[in-house]
Amino acid sequence: MNKLYVMIAFFLASALVLAAAAALPLPQYAKIVLLAVALVLDVAGFSSRYYLYMFRPLLRLKKHVVLSSEDAYWISSTADSILHKSGDDIVATVYVLIPLYRSSTEMSDSERLEFSRQVSRLIGVSRDPVRFTTEMYVMNKDAYIQTLRDTISATENEQADLTFKNAPAAELERVKGKLAMLHNMLDSISKGMSFEMVSYASISATGSKEYEAISAAQQKARELMSGIGSVFGVSPSLITGENILKFIEPEALIPFSTMTEQISKGLEEQVV
Amino acid sequence: MDEEGIIYLIFSLVIIVLSFAILTSLHGIYTIIGLVLVVIALVFIIAMNWADFLLMPALTSVLGMTFQPARNYTITKGQNAIIKNVNGLFYATGYITANLFAYTFKEETAAEEDEVRLAAAPEMWERAVMSLGFPYKFHVLSCGMDVQKVRDEIEGRRSFQEFQLSRALQSGSNEVTVTDLQRRVNIEQAKMDRISQGEKPIATLMYTETTAVGITEKAATDALDAQIKQLQIALSSLDLQLSRIVGRELYTLFRYNFSMPNSFADIASAFDQQM
Repeated sequence: MNKLYVMIAFFLASALVLAAAAALPLPQYAKIVLLAVALVLDVAGFSSRYYLYMFRPLLRLKKHVVLSSEDAYWISSTADSILHKSGDDIVATVYVLIPLYRSSTEMSDSERLEFSRQVSRLIGVSRDPVRFTTEMYVMNKDAYIQTLRDTISATENEQADLTFKNAPAAELERVKGKLAMLHNMLDSISKGMSFEMVSYASISATGSKEYEAISAAQQKARELMSGIGSVFGVSPSLITGENILKFIEPEALIPFSTMTEQISKGLEEQVV
Repeated sequence: MDEEGIIYLIFSLVIIVLSFAILTSLHGIYTIIGLVLVVIALVFIIAMNWADFLLMPALTSVLGMTFQPARNYTITKGQNAIIKNVNGLFYATGYITANLFAYTFKEETAAEEDEVRLAAAPEMWERAVMSLGFPYKFHVLSCGMDVQKVRDEIEGRRSFQEFQLSRALQSGSNEVTVTDLQRRVNIEQAKMDRISQGEKPIATLMYTETTAVGITEKAATDALDAQIKQLQIALSSLDLQLSRIVGRELYTLFRYNFSMPNSFADIASAFDQQM
Protein backbone atom coordinates (compact mmCIF):
# COMPACT_ATOMS: atom_id res chain seq x y z
CA MET A 1 0.00 0.00 0.00
CA ASN A 2 1.27 3.45 -0.83
CA LYS A 3 2.74 5.15 2.24
CA LEU A 4 1.09 8.44 1.39
CA TYR A 5 -2.39 6.87 1.45
CA VAL A 6 -1.64 5.39 4.86
CA MET A 7 -0.51 8.77 6.13
CA ILE A 8 -3.64 10.49 4.75
CA ALA A 9 -5.83 7.78 6.31
CA PHE A 10 -4.25 8.33 9.72
CA PHE A 11 -4.56 12.12 9.53
CA LEU A 12 -8.17 11.93 8.30
CA ALA A 13 -9.06 9.57 11.14
CA SER A 14 -7.35 11.92 13.58
CA ALA A 15 -9.24 14.94 12.19
CA LEU A 16 -12.57 13.05 12.38
CA VAL A 17 -11.98 12.10 16.01
CA LEU A 18 -11.12 15.72 16.79
CA ALA A 19 -14.27 16.89 15.01
CA ALA A 20 -16.33 14.41 17.03
CA ALA A 21 -14.76 15.72 20.25
CA ALA A 22 -15.59 19.29 19.26
CA ALA A 23 -19.09 18.78 17.89
CA LEU A 24 -20.66 16.11 20.09
CA PRO A 25 -22.14 17.08 23.50
CA LEU A 26 -19.81 14.80 25.46
CA PRO A 27 -18.60 14.98 29.06
CA GLN A 28 -15.15 16.51 29.64
CA TYR A 29 -13.35 13.20 30.33
CA ALA A 30 -14.71 11.71 27.08
CA LYS A 31 -13.39 14.70 25.16
CA ILE A 32 -9.96 14.16 26.72
CA VAL A 33 -10.03 10.51 25.68
CA LEU A 34 -10.98 11.47 22.11
CA LEU A 35 -8.23 14.11 22.08
CA ALA A 36 -5.67 11.49 23.19
CA VAL A 37 -6.87 9.09 20.47
CA ALA A 38 -6.62 11.85 17.84
CA LEU A 39 -3.08 12.72 18.94
CA VAL A 40 -1.99 9.07 18.88
CA LEU A 41 -3.37 8.77 15.33
CA ASP A 42 -1.55 11.98 14.40
CA VAL A 43 1.77 10.69 15.75
CA ALA A 44 1.16 7.34 14.01
CA GLY A 45 0.47 9.15 10.73
CA PHE A 46 3.71 11.09 11.01
CA SER A 47 5.75 8.02 12.00
CA SER A 48 4.25 5.91 9.19
CA ARG A 49 6.69 7.42 6.70
CA TYR A 50 9.57 5.27 7.90
CA TYR A 51 8.16 3.01 10.61
CA LEU A 52 4.91 1.59 9.26
CA TYR A 53 6.39 -1.93 9.47
CA MET A 54 6.75 -1.55 13.24
CA PHE A 55 3.11 -0.73 14.06
CA ARG A 56 1.75 -4.28 14.10
CA PRO A 57 4.67 -5.83 16.06
CA LEU A 58 4.49 -2.95 18.54
CA LEU A 59 0.77 -3.52 19.10
CA ARG A 60 1.34 -7.26 19.54
CA LEU A 61 4.53 -6.65 21.57
CA LYS A 62 6.46 -9.02 19.31
CA LYS A 63 10.16 -9.32 20.07
CA HIS A 64 11.35 -10.38 16.63
CA VAL A 65 10.10 -8.52 13.57
CA VAL A 66 10.53 -10.31 10.26
CA LEU A 67 10.88 -7.68 7.54
CA SER A 68 11.76 -10.31 4.96
CA SER A 69 12.26 -14.04 5.18
CA GLU A 70 13.64 -14.32 1.66
CA ASP A 71 17.27 -14.43 0.65
CA ALA A 72 18.75 -10.95 0.33
CA TYR A 73 19.85 -11.69 -3.26
CA TRP A 74 20.57 -14.40 -5.76
CA ILE A 75 23.26 -14.66 -8.42
CA SER A 76 22.06 -14.30 -12.00
CA SER A 77 22.30 -17.20 -14.44
CA THR A 78 24.97 -15.21 -16.31
CA ALA A 79 26.96 -15.20 -13.02
CA ASP A 80 28.06 -11.60 -13.49
CA SER A 81 25.48 -9.82 -11.37
CA ILE A 82 23.38 -10.27 -8.29
CA LEU A 83 19.61 -9.86 -8.31
CA HIS A 84 17.39 -8.45 -5.62
CA LYS A 85 13.60 -8.24 -5.59
CA SER A 86 12.27 -4.78 -4.85
CA GLY A 87 8.46 -4.73 -4.91
CA ASP A 88 7.42 -5.93 -8.37
CA ASP A 89 10.78 -5.01 -9.87
CA ILE A 90 14.09 -6.80 -10.08
CA VAL A 91 17.28 -4.89 -9.31
CA ALA A 92 20.48 -6.18 -10.88
CA THR A 93 23.81 -5.07 -9.41
CA VAL A 94 27.09 -5.45 -11.23
CA TYR A 95 30.54 -5.29 -9.65
CA VAL A 96 33.49 -3.85 -11.52
CA LEU A 97 37.06 -4.55 -10.38
CA ILE A 98 39.40 -1.53 -10.45
CA PRO A 99 42.91 -2.96 -10.78
CA LEU A 100 44.90 -0.29 -8.91
CA TYR A 101 48.05 -1.46 -7.20
CA ARG A 102 49.89 1.75 -6.35
CA SER A 103 51.15 2.99 -3.04
CA SER A 104 51.81 6.59 -2.07
CA THR A 105 55.21 5.56 -0.70
CA GLU A 106 56.46 4.99 -4.23
CA MET A 107 55.01 8.23 -5.64
CA SER A 108 56.60 11.64 -5.96
CA ASP A 109 54.71 14.74 -4.75
CA SER A 110 53.47 15.53 -8.25
CA GLU A 111 52.34 11.93 -8.75
CA ARG A 112 50.43 12.05 -5.45
CA LEU A 113 48.69 15.24 -6.53
CA GLU A 114 47.84 13.68 -9.89
CA PHE A 115 46.56 10.53 -8.18
CA SER A 116 44.26 12.57 -5.91
CA ARG A 117 42.93 14.39 -8.96
CA GLN A 118 42.33 11.09 -10.69
CA VAL A 119 40.34 9.88 -7.67
CA SER A 120 38.32 13.11 -7.79
CA ARG A 121 37.61 12.57 -11.47
CA LEU A 122 36.70 8.94 -10.82
CA ILE A 123 33.94 9.98 -8.41
CA GLY A 124 32.31 12.11 -11.09
CA VAL A 125 32.60 9.52 -13.82
CA SER A 126 28.91 8.54 -13.91
CA ARG A 127 25.61 10.36 -13.66
CA ASP A 128 23.94 7.27 -12.16
CA PRO A 129 24.49 6.40 -8.51
CA VAL A 130 27.73 4.41 -8.30
CA ARG A 131 29.43 3.08 -5.22
CA PHE A 132 33.22 3.00 -5.20
CA THR A 133 34.70 0.80 -2.51
CA THR A 134 38.09 0.00 -1.12
CA GLU A 135 37.90 -3.22 0.83
CA MET A 136 40.40 -4.90 3.08
CA TYR A 137 39.62 -8.54 3.82
CA VAL A 138 41.28 -11.51 5.45
CA MET A 139 43.14 -13.69 3.00
CA ASN A 140 41.46 -17.06 2.54
CA LYS A 141 43.84 -19.71 3.82
CA ASP A 142 41.09 -22.30 4.10
CA ALA A 143 42.37 -24.61 1.38
CA TYR A 144 45.94 -24.49 2.71
CA ILE A 145 44.84 -25.06 6.32
CA GLN A 146 42.65 -27.98 5.21
CA THR A 147 45.56 -29.56 3.30
CA LEU A 148 47.77 -29.20 6.37
CA ARG A 149 45.12 -30.77 8.62
CA ASP A 150 44.68 -33.69 6.19
CA THR A 151 48.44 -34.21 6.07
CA ILE A 152 48.63 -34.09 9.90
CA SER A 153 45.92 -36.73 10.31
CA ALA A 154 47.57 -38.94 7.64
CA THR A 155 50.92 -38.59 9.43
CA GLU A 156 49.30 -39.38 12.80
CA ASN A 157 47.84 -42.55 11.24
CA GLU A 158 51.26 -43.40 9.87
CA GLN A 159 52.80 -42.90 13.34
CA ALA A 160 50.15 -45.13 14.98
CA ASP A 161 50.70 -47.75 12.30
CA LEU A 162 54.48 -47.70 12.78
CA THR A 163 54.13 -47.93 16.58
CA PHE A 164 51.76 -50.88 16.19
CA LYS A 165 54.16 -52.67 13.85
CA ASN A 166 57.16 -52.02 16.16
CA ALA A 167 58.94 -50.13 13.39
CA PRO A 168 62.62 -49.12 13.84
CA ALA A 169 63.23 -46.17 16.18
CA ALA A 170 64.78 -44.09 13.40
CA GLU A 171 61.64 -44.44 11.29
CA LEU A 172 59.43 -43.49 14.26
CA GLU A 173 61.67 -40.50 14.98
CA ARG A 174 61.31 -39.32 11.38
CA VAL A 175 57.51 -39.46 11.52
CA LYS A 176 57.47 -37.68 14.90
CA GLY A 177 59.70 -34.96 13.49
CA LYS A 178 57.45 -34.59 10.45
CA LEU A 179 54.40 -34.34 12.70
CA ALA A 180 56.03 -31.66 14.87
CA MET A 181 56.97 -29.70 11.77
CA LEU A 182 53.39 -29.87 10.40
CA HIS A 183 51.94 -28.78 13.76
CA ASN A 184 54.37 -25.85 13.83
CA MET A 185 53.32 -24.88 10.32
CA LEU A 186 49.64 -25.00 11.28
CA ASP A 187 50.35 -22.95 14.39
CA SER A 188 52.25 -20.27 12.54
CA ILE A 189 49.79 -19.99 9.66
CA SER A 190 46.77 -19.62 11.93
CA LYS A 191 48.55 -17.35 14.40
CA GLY A 192 48.06 -14.13 12.48
CA MET A 193 45.77 -12.94 9.73
CA SER A 194 47.02 -11.87 6.33
CA PHE A 195 45.08 -9.20 4.50
CA GLU A 196 44.31 -8.34 0.91
CA MET A 197 43.05 -5.04 -0.42
CA VAL A 198 40.87 -4.55 -3.46
CA SER A 199 39.01 -1.64 -5.06
CA TYR A 200 35.78 -2.02 -6.97
CA ALA A 201 32.70 -0.15 -8.13
CA SER A 202 29.11 -1.33 -8.02
CA ILE A 203 26.17 -0.07 -10.04
CA SER A 204 22.53 -1.17 -10.22
CA ALA A 205 19.70 -1.09 -12.74
CA THR A 206 16.04 -1.90 -12.33
CA GLY A 207 13.83 -3.88 -14.67
CA SER A 208 10.52 -5.69 -14.61
CA LYS A 209 12.22 -8.90 -15.79
CA GLU A 210 15.53 -10.45 -14.82
CA TYR A 211 17.11 -10.18 -18.27
CA GLU A 212 15.93 -6.58 -18.59
CA ALA A 213 17.57 -5.57 -15.30
CA ILE A 214 20.76 -7.51 -16.07
CA SER A 215 21.24 -6.03 -19.54
CA ALA A 216 20.56 -2.49 -18.24
CA ALA A 217 23.07 -3.00 -15.41
CA GLN A 218 25.66 -4.39 -17.81
CA GLN A 219 25.16 -1.42 -20.11
CA LYS A 220 25.74 0.96 -17.19
CA ALA A 221 28.76 -1.10 -16.11
CA ARG A 222 30.31 -0.85 -19.60
CA GLU A 223 29.99 2.93 -19.51
CA LEU A 224 31.46 2.96 -16.02
CA MET A 225 34.34 0.73 -17.06
CA SER A 226 35.26 2.98 -19.96
CA GLY A 227 35.15 5.99 -17.59
CA ILE A 228 37.38 4.26 -15.02
CA GLY A 229 39.73 3.11 -17.77
CA SER A 230 40.11 6.61 -19.16
CA VAL A 231 40.76 8.12 -15.71
CA PHE A 232 43.36 5.67 -14.45
CA GLY A 233 44.58 4.06 -17.67
CA VAL A 234 43.77 0.59 -16.38
CA SER A 235 41.49 -2.17 -17.68
CA PRO A 236 38.59 -2.69 -15.26
CA SER A 237 36.79 -6.01 -15.47
CA LEU A 238 33.43 -7.41 -14.45
CA ILE A 239 33.56 -9.61 -11.38
CA THR A 240 31.87 -12.93 -11.97
CA GLY A 241 30.86 -16.10 -10.20
CA GLU A 242 31.75 -16.76 -6.61
CA ASN A 243 34.18 -13.84 -6.56
CA ILE A 244 31.17 -11.52 -6.22
CA LEU A 245 30.49 -13.01 -2.76
CA LYS A 246 33.72 -11.45 -1.52
CA PHE A 247 32.04 -8.05 -1.82
CA ILE A 248 28.69 -9.00 -0.33
CA GLU A 249 28.89 -11.73 2.28
CA PRO A 250 30.45 -10.95 5.68
CA GLU A 251 31.81 -14.50 5.95
CA ALA A 252 33.78 -13.91 2.75
CA LEU A 253 35.58 -11.04 4.49
CA ILE A 254 36.73 -13.39 7.24
CA PRO A 255 36.95 -16.98 5.95
CA PHE A 256 35.28 -19.57 8.14
CA SER A 257 38.09 -22.08 8.82
CA THR A 258 40.73 -19.36 9.27
CA MET A 259 38.48 -17.87 11.92
CA THR A 260 37.57 -21.14 13.67
CA GLU A 261 41.27 -22.02 13.80
CA GLN A 262 41.99 -18.64 15.43
CA ILE A 263 39.10 -18.93 17.86
CA SER A 264 40.05 -22.47 18.97
CA LYS A 265 43.65 -21.33 19.36
CA GLY A 266 42.49 -18.37 21.46
CA LEU A 267 40.36 -20.68 23.63
CA GLU A 268 43.28 -23.11 24.06
CA GLU A 269 45.52 -20.24 25.17
CA GLN A 270 42.87 -19.05 27.64
CA VAL A 271 42.54 -22.56 29.11
CA VAL A 272 46.32 -22.96 29.39
CA MET B 1 14.40 17.87 4.79
CA ASP B 2 12.91 16.70 1.49
CA GLU B 3 9.46 17.59 0.10
CA GLU B 4 7.84 14.39 1.34
CA GLY B 5 9.09 15.06 4.85
CA ILE B 6 7.67 18.57 4.74
CA ILE B 7 4.25 17.20 3.69
CA TYR B 8 4.24 14.78 6.64
CA LEU B 9 5.28 17.52 9.05
CA ILE B 10 2.67 20.01 7.82
CA PHE B 11 -0.18 17.48 8.06
CA SER B 12 0.76 16.44 11.57
CA LEU B 13 1.19 20.03 12.75
CA VAL B 14 -2.24 20.94 11.33
CA ILE B 15 -3.74 18.26 13.61
CA ILE B 16 -1.82 19.73 16.56
CA VAL B 17 -3.22 23.19 15.80
CA LEU B 18 -6.74 21.75 15.54
CA SER B 19 -6.18 20.09 18.92
CA PHE B 20 -5.61 23.48 20.49
CA ALA B 21 -9.11 24.45 19.30
CA ILE B 22 -10.53 21.52 21.31
CA LEU B 23 -8.77 22.81 24.41
CA THR B 24 -11.01 25.89 24.41
CA SER B 25 -14.05 23.68 25.02
CA LEU B 26 -12.47 22.13 28.11
CA HIS B 27 -12.51 23.51 31.65
CA GLY B 28 -10.36 23.36 34.77
CA ILE B 29 -8.05 20.39 35.22
CA TYR B 30 -9.18 18.94 31.87
CA THR B 31 -7.66 21.93 30.05
CA ILE B 32 -4.32 21.25 31.71
CA ILE B 33 -4.46 17.51 30.91
CA GLY B 34 -5.39 18.32 27.30
CA LEU B 35 -2.56 20.85 27.04
CA VAL B 36 -0.04 18.34 28.40
CA LEU B 37 -1.20 15.72 25.87
CA VAL B 38 -0.89 18.18 22.97
CA VAL B 39 2.58 19.30 24.08
CA ILE B 40 3.75 15.67 24.43
CA ALA B 41 2.49 14.90 20.91
CA LEU B 42 4.17 18.02 19.54
CA VAL B 43 7.50 17.21 21.20
CA PHE B 44 7.32 13.62 19.97
CA ILE B 45 6.65 14.71 16.37
CA ILE B 46 9.50 17.23 16.44
CA ALA B 47 11.84 14.64 17.97
CA MET B 48 10.81 12.05 15.37
CA ASN B 49 11.47 14.55 12.62
CA TRP B 50 14.99 15.51 13.67
CA ALA B 51 16.22 12.68 15.87
CA ASP B 52 14.34 9.50 15.07
CA PHE B 53 17.72 7.74 14.89
CA LEU B 54 17.99 8.26 18.65
CA LEU B 55 14.35 7.68 19.56
CA MET B 56 13.63 4.45 17.68
CA PRO B 57 16.77 2.50 18.70
CA ALA B 58 16.06 3.57 22.30
CA LEU B 59 12.51 2.26 21.96
CA THR B 60 13.56 -1.06 20.40
CA SER B 61 16.29 -1.45 23.04
CA VAL B 62 13.78 -0.98 25.84
CA LEU B 63 11.31 -3.40 24.24
CA GLY B 64 14.07 -5.84 23.21
CA MET B 65 12.88 -5.84 19.59
CA THR B 66 15.12 -7.31 16.89
CA PHE B 67 14.55 -7.27 13.14
CA GLN B 68 15.17 -9.73 10.35
CA PRO B 69 15.91 -7.73 7.17
CA ALA B 70 16.58 -10.90 5.14
CA ARG B 71 17.07 -14.60 5.71
CA ASN B 72 19.97 -15.31 8.13
CA TYR B 73 20.41 -11.65 9.04
CA THR B 74 19.33 -9.91 12.26
CA ILE B 75 19.40 -6.25 13.23
CA THR B 76 20.23 -5.96 16.93
CA LYS B 77 17.79 -4.36 19.37
CA GLY B 78 20.03 -1.27 19.61
CA GLN B 79 19.82 -1.03 15.78
CA ASN B 80 23.57 -0.43 15.53
CA ALA B 81 24.70 -3.73 13.99
CA ILE B 82 23.57 -6.42 11.58
CA ILE B 83 24.38 -9.98 12.56
CA LYS B 84 24.70 -13.00 10.34
CA ASN B 85 24.88 -16.49 11.79
CA VAL B 86 26.98 -18.80 9.64
CA ASN B 87 27.33 -22.35 10.99
CA GLY B 88 27.41 -21.14 14.58
CA LEU B 89 29.79 -18.25 13.98
CA PHE B 90 28.34 -14.76 14.30
CA TYR B 91 29.41 -12.00 11.93
CA ALA B 92 28.47 -8.50 13.15
CA THR B 93 28.60 -5.62 10.69
CA GLY B 94 28.47 -1.95 11.64
CA TYR B 95 28.78 1.36 9.81
CA ILE B 96 30.25 4.76 10.57
CA THR B 97 29.98 7.99 8.62
CA ALA B 98 33.19 9.08 6.95
CA ASN B 99 32.45 12.08 4.78
CA LEU B 100 35.87 13.21 3.63
CA PHE B 101 34.50 16.53 2.44
CA ALA B 102 31.33 17.86 0.91
CA TYR B 103 32.02 16.87 -2.66
CA THR B 104 29.08 18.69 -4.20
CA PHE B 105 31.26 21.74 -4.54
CA LYS B 106 34.36 22.90 -2.81
CA GLU B 107 33.80 26.11 -0.97
CA GLU B 108 35.79 29.28 -1.14
CA THR B 109 39.34 28.00 -0.66
CA ALA B 110 42.62 29.07 -2.12
CA ALA B 111 43.79 26.90 -5.03
CA GLU B 112 47.30 26.53 -3.55
CA GLU B 113 45.95 25.23 -0.26
CA ASP B 114 43.82 22.77 -2.22
CA GLU B 115 46.86 21.41 -4.01
CA VAL B 116 48.82 20.89 -0.78
CA ARG B 117 45.91 19.01 0.75
CA LEU B 118 45.38 16.91 -2.35
CA ALA B 119 49.06 15.96 -2.52
CA ALA B 120 49.08 14.94 1.13
CA ALA B 121 45.83 12.94 0.89
CA PRO B 122 47.15 9.57 -0.43
CA GLU B 123 49.87 9.34 2.21
CA MET B 124 47.53 10.39 5.02
CA TRP B 125 45.03 7.77 3.89
CA GLU B 126 47.62 4.99 3.73
CA ARG B 127 49.04 5.92 7.11
CA ALA B 128 45.57 5.89 8.64
CA VAL B 129 44.49 2.50 7.31
CA MET B 130 47.86 0.74 7.58
CA SER B 131 47.44 0.18 11.30
CA LEU B 132 44.04 -1.51 11.03
CA GLY B 133 44.18 -5.26 11.63
CA PHE B 134 40.64 -6.21 10.73
CA PRO B 135 38.47 -6.19 7.61
CA TYR B 136 36.73 -3.00 6.60
CA LYS B 137 35.26 -1.31 3.54
CA PHE B 138 35.40 2.38 2.68
CA HIS B 139 32.52 3.31 0.41
CA VAL B 140 32.02 6.43 -1.70
CA LEU B 141 28.53 6.58 -3.12
CA SER B 142 28.40 9.23 -5.82
CA CYS B 143 25.58 10.52 -7.95
CA GLY B 144 25.51 13.16 -10.66
CA MET B 145 23.08 15.98 -10.04
CA ASP B 146 20.94 17.91 -12.50
CA VAL B 147 23.19 20.78 -13.60
CA GLN B 148 20.34 23.18 -14.40
CA LYS B 149 18.58 22.51 -11.12
CA VAL B 150 21.74 23.06 -9.11
CA ARG B 151 22.50 26.21 -11.09
CA ASP B 152 19.00 27.58 -10.41
CA GLU B 153 19.34 26.83 -6.70
CA ILE B 154 22.71 28.57 -6.49
CA GLU B 155 21.42 31.57 -8.42
CA GLY B 156 18.44 31.81 -6.08
CA ARG B 157 20.65 31.69 -3.01
CA ARG B 158 23.10 34.20 -4.44
CA SER B 159 20.32 36.66 -5.33
CA PHE B 160 18.90 36.39 -1.81
CA GLN B 161 22.33 36.95 -0.26
CA GLU B 162 23.00 39.91 -2.55
CA PHE B 163 19.67 41.39 -1.46
CA GLN B 164 20.63 40.87 2.19
CA LEU B 165 24.03 42.45 1.52
CA SER B 166 22.53 45.54 -0.12
CA ARG B 167 20.13 45.97 2.81
CA ALA B 168 22.99 45.59 5.27
CA LEU B 169 25.01 48.23 3.40
CA GLN B 170 22.06 50.64 3.26
CA SER B 171 21.24 50.23 6.94
CA GLY B 172 24.88 50.71 7.90
CA SER B 173 25.31 47.29 9.58
CA ASN B 174 28.58 46.48 11.31
CA GLU B 175 31.61 45.32 9.37
CA VAL B 176 31.46 41.71 10.59
CA THR B 177 27.95 41.21 9.15
CA VAL B 178 28.85 42.83 5.84
CA THR B 179 32.07 40.76 5.51
CA ASP B 180 30.19 37.57 6.31
CA LEU B 181 27.54 38.30 3.69
CA GLN B 182 30.19 39.21 1.11
CA ARG B 183 31.94 35.90 1.83
CA ARG B 184 28.68 33.98 1.32
CA VAL B 185 28.06 35.74 -1.99
CA ASN B 186 31.63 34.88 -3.05
CA ILE B 187 31.11 31.21 -2.18
CA GLU B 188 27.97 31.04 -4.34
CA GLN B 189 29.78 32.87 -7.13
CA ALA B 190 32.69 30.39 -6.91
CA LYS B 191 30.21 27.54 -7.29
CA MET B 192 28.60 29.21 -10.30
CA ASP B 193 32.02 29.71 -11.88
CA ARG B 194 32.87 26.04 -11.43
CA ILE B 195 29.66 25.01 -13.19
CA SER B 196 30.35 27.50 -15.98
CA GLN B 197 33.81 25.96 -16.41
CA GLY B 198 32.16 22.59 -17.03
CA GLU B 199 32.53 20.98 -13.62
CA LYS B 200 29.73 18.55 -12.85
CA PRO B 201 27.88 18.86 -9.56
CA ILE B 202 28.23 15.55 -7.77
CA ALA B 203 26.55 14.47 -4.56
CA THR B 204 28.51 11.99 -2.49
CA LEU B 205 27.94 9.89 0.56
CA MET B 206 30.95 8.33 2.24
CA TYR B 207 30.86 5.70 4.92
CA THR B 208 32.93 2.90 6.39
CA GLU B 209 31.75 -0.61 7.07
CA THR B 210 33.48 -3.16 9.25
CA THR B 211 32.75 -6.75 10.21
CA ALA B 212 33.72 -8.62 13.36
CA VAL B 213 33.32 -12.27 14.19
CA GLY B 214 32.55 -14.11 17.41
CA ILE B 215 31.36 -17.43 18.73
CA THR B 216 28.34 -15.75 20.31
CA GLU B 217 26.26 -12.77 19.26
CA LYS B 218 27.58 -10.83 22.24
CA ALA B 219 31.20 -11.66 21.40
CA ALA B 220 30.68 -10.51 17.81
CA THR B 221 29.01 -7.21 18.77
CA ASP B 222 31.67 -6.52 21.42
CA ALA B 223 34.41 -7.14 18.86
CA LEU B 224 32.54 -4.88 16.43
CA ASP B 225 32.35 -2.08 19.03
CA ALA B 226 36.11 -2.35 19.54
CA GLN B 227 36.77 -2.31 15.77
CA ILE B 228 34.55 0.73 15.28
CA LYS B 229 36.44 2.58 18.01
CA GLN B 230 39.73 1.68 16.35
CA LEU B 231 38.42 2.90 12.99
CA GLN B 232 37.30 6.16 14.54
CA ILE B 233 40.74 6.68 16.06
CA ALA B 234 42.61 5.68 12.90
CA LEU B 235 40.54 7.88 10.58
CA SER B 236 40.34 10.87 12.94
CA SER B 237 43.60 12.20 11.45
CA LEU B 238 41.71 12.75 8.18
CA ASP B 239 39.48 15.37 9.80
CA LEU B 240 36.23 13.47 9.31
CA GLN B 241 32.96 13.29 11.13
CA LEU B 242 32.99 9.68 12.35
CA SER B 243 29.73 8.83 14.04
CA ARG B 244 28.23 5.36 14.26
CA ILE B 245 25.16 4.86 12.10
CA VAL B 246 22.08 3.52 13.85
CA GLY B 247 18.42 2.99 13.06
CA ARG B 248 16.79 3.05 9.65
CA GLU B 249 19.89 4.43 7.94
CA LEU B 250 21.78 1.29 8.98
CA TYR B 251 19.06 -0.79 7.32
CA THR B 252 19.30 1.30 4.15
CA LEU B 253 23.08 0.89 3.99
CA PHE B 254 22.64 -2.85 4.45
CA ARG B 255 20.25 -2.91 1.47
CA TYR B 256 22.79 -0.97 -0.64
CA ASN B 257 24.98 -4.09 -0.49
CA PHE B 258 22.43 -5.80 -2.74
CA SER B 259 20.78 -2.98 -4.65
CA MET B 260 21.93 0.56 -5.18
CA PRO B 261 19.53 3.53 -5.22
CA ASN B 262 18.18 4.75 -8.54
CA SER B 263 18.53 8.48 -8.10
CA PHE B 264 19.84 11.28 -5.94
CA ALA B 265 16.34 11.80 -4.52
CA ASP B 266 16.38 8.23 -3.14
CA ILE B 267 19.70 8.86 -1.42
CA ALA B 268 18.66 12.26 -0.07
CA SER B 269 15.41 10.98 1.43
CA ALA B 270 17.10 7.95 3.01
CA PHE B 271 19.92 9.92 4.65
CA ASP B 272 18.51 13.13 6.00
CA GLN B 273 19.93 12.93 9.50
CA GLN B 274 23.14 11.07 10.23
CA MET B 275 25.13 11.30 6.98
